[in-house]
Amino acid sequence: MTHTRRQFIGTIGAATALIGAPSILRAQAQGTFRIGALCPVTGSGSPFGSGMQKMIIAAAEAVNAAGGAAGRKIEIVSEDTQTSPQAAVLAAKKLIDVNKVQAVLGTWSSGVSLAVVPLTNDANIILMNTSGAPALSMPPANAKGLSYRFQATNDRFGRAFAEICEKEGFKRPATMAFNNASGVGNTEGFRKAWEAKGHKLVESVVYEPNQPTYRSELQKVLAANPDVIVTGSYLADTTIIMREWYQSGQPVKWVMPGWAASPDLVKAVGPDVVEGVISVDSVSNENAPSYKAYDEAYRKATGQPGQSNVYAAMTWDMVHVLALAIEAANGTDMAAINAKIREVSNPAGQQVYTYAEGKEALKKGKINFEGASSVLDFDQYGDVTPDFGVFFIEGGQLNRRYVVKI
Amino acid sequence: MFYAQLLVNGLVQGLVIGLAALSITLVFGIARFPNAATGDFMTFGAYAALSAHKATGSIAMGGLAAIIATGVISLLAYLAVFRRLAERSVVALLVASIGIAFFIRAVLGVAFGHSQQVFQVPLSRPYVFGSVRITPLDLQLAAVALAALALVFAILYLTPIGRQMRAVADNRDLARVSGIRPDRVMIALWLLAGSVAGVAGMMLGIKTIVTPEFGWEMLLPAFTAAILGGIGSPVGAVVAGLLLGVVQEVSTPFVGFTYKIALAFIIMLAVLLVRPRGLFGRLEGAR
Repeated sequence: MTHTRRQFIGTIGAATALIGAPSILRAQAQGTFRIGALCPVTGSGSPFGSGMQKMIIAAAEAVNAAGGAAGRKIEIVSEDTQTSPQAAVLAAKKLIDVNKVQAVLGTWSSGVSLAVVPLTNDANIILMNTSGAPALSMPPANAKGLSYRFQATNDRFGRAFAEICEKEGFKRPATMAFNNASGVGNTEGFRKAWEAKGHKLVESVVYEPNQPTYRSELQKVLAANPDVIVTGSYLADTTIIMREWYQSGQPVKWVMPGWAASPDLVKAVGPDVVEGVISVDSVSNENAPSYKAYDEAYRKATGQPGQSNVYAAMTWDMVHVLALAIEAANGTDMAAINAKIREVSNPAGQQVYTYAEGKEALKKGKINFEGASSVLDFDQYGDVTPDFGVFFIEGGQLNRRYVVKI
Repeated sequence: MFYAQLLVNGLVQGLVIGLAALSITLVFGIARFPNAATGDFMTFGAYAALSAHKATGSIAMGGLAAIIATGVISLLAYLAVFRRLAERSVVALLVASIGIAFFIRAVLGVAFGHSQQVFQVPLSRPYVFGSVRITPLDLQLAAVALAALALVFAILYLTPIGRQMRAVADNRDLARVSGIRPDRVMIALWLLAGSVAGVAGMMLGIKTIVTPEFGWEMLLPAFTAAILGGIGSPVGAVVAGLLLGVVQEVSTPFVGFTYKIALAFIIMLAVLLVRPRGLFGRLEGAR
């Protein structure tokens, strides 16, 4: 027994040395600014994650090609959140403690971002996410003002849903929400905006993940006879719900967030089932030159059009904003960089669309980076307000009918 | 009538849980350890069925593929790992099964990717009985589950190898001195347990979606049913699975959808407090 214990301790020691050694070596490297690319490569975010990570790398290449930021090259360390808070926390710990990254970019689902933000706060480094949960705006999550959100909040999504329901003339909406901060955030945002317009909800259901069937949940919602069901849901549960709803035979319209009502949903359930579903997503800043640069990079990296992944446009912008802030701060002091983020991206200042352009313009004065994902004007909470595209699923295609501004 | 519909919803859900619990309880009764790889055997079965269904377009072929492939993978797990650990403690076997679970999941993730896949089965409108709606698909799945159960029980109670399996489950040493060769029994057991898990995986896959993690997520309800039914009791596992499914759904008007899962565990606790051996379990002396 003693023997095996000694072996065990030996193994642990060797493992520690293995993990520890390179970090000591790397920590000595000069002239780089290290960023963690923490994206949902596997799990329910997998349709987006690898594209997001590729765009962080591509944007860093663009920055390095323009001579780096504040004289330093950007170096990317990639990790996978598995779209699971537990896995994300382990990965973030590794990025912060072992790789010594100075910023973490690209967390996707709200559960993941809410789990990672205490770690980045403790380390006094920046977190840039694409999550929707309203809780990410306020303390304690954003107590230090180090967290930036490149996606619309779920609350803003809910407000957009309410605008759309009013425009489409729905009278009896019901809601169905996946039980997490994001899902409930969507439907609560909708409820508040809808009731503020003087209307009422007929039913609301919150359901659990990973259930083999959602028939009872549907039964309850459909019993209230709604004319539209507004969801805060994800792809997996929406797939099951849509199939079971179709089999119930009761006609109703659906308004869903774009990460649920995506081309993958059409592929999973077939075009007949999702005919007429309204899919709402923040739209990228498609007419801006920055979007063109992103689109080119995305096609080169993945062979897909940039429009197929709104989150990749956000991660592309993250690296740009961060690098411009480093350049403006002229150093790697985190407080100084953080103070520059709004300065390089919010109005007043020369509008710029690429890193090279921004770096040049910074020599002359203030700049306003207009991103590929949105115009990127951060409010006091570090949130942005993109526009929302309203897509109708028709014959298996997502056709954008109009854009809603809130 | 509202409750009748909930009852039907629960029965369908319960059949899947029951089959998974049956696989767990078979292994526990004979090999004497909780097999945490059962969930991933289910996933494996679902992918086997999915591949066969894509290749041939026939659900029956998919089912056959699930039964054979999962039976074989389960047997391989026994031959490569569990047989070598047979004399070790339960914990060693449990940890080994968790390792096999990770291994299967990782291989499936690499082979099929992590995005969700679905069985492209035609969706049809339900039959309406009074105000209760039952979909043809659910009826077919229920028939498959019942056929699988009938087959398993026929093997267990009507064939010589089944009698030997029950003898080993009853008293391993006594079985050995009576001339039963444990090796043959174990091979039959792992083939059977794997095939049952494969069928459960295919059913769950057809009802929902298939991802490399989806079987693992079913493990908790399946273990609950196996414990509730009385560990080692095949009938108990199936009855407890159905009970859990029905209770969860019928309770939703009172406790809501968030707490229905907790309710399953409360019931398990209550049963175990009153009847520690589970619903159909037998008292077992200290070993």
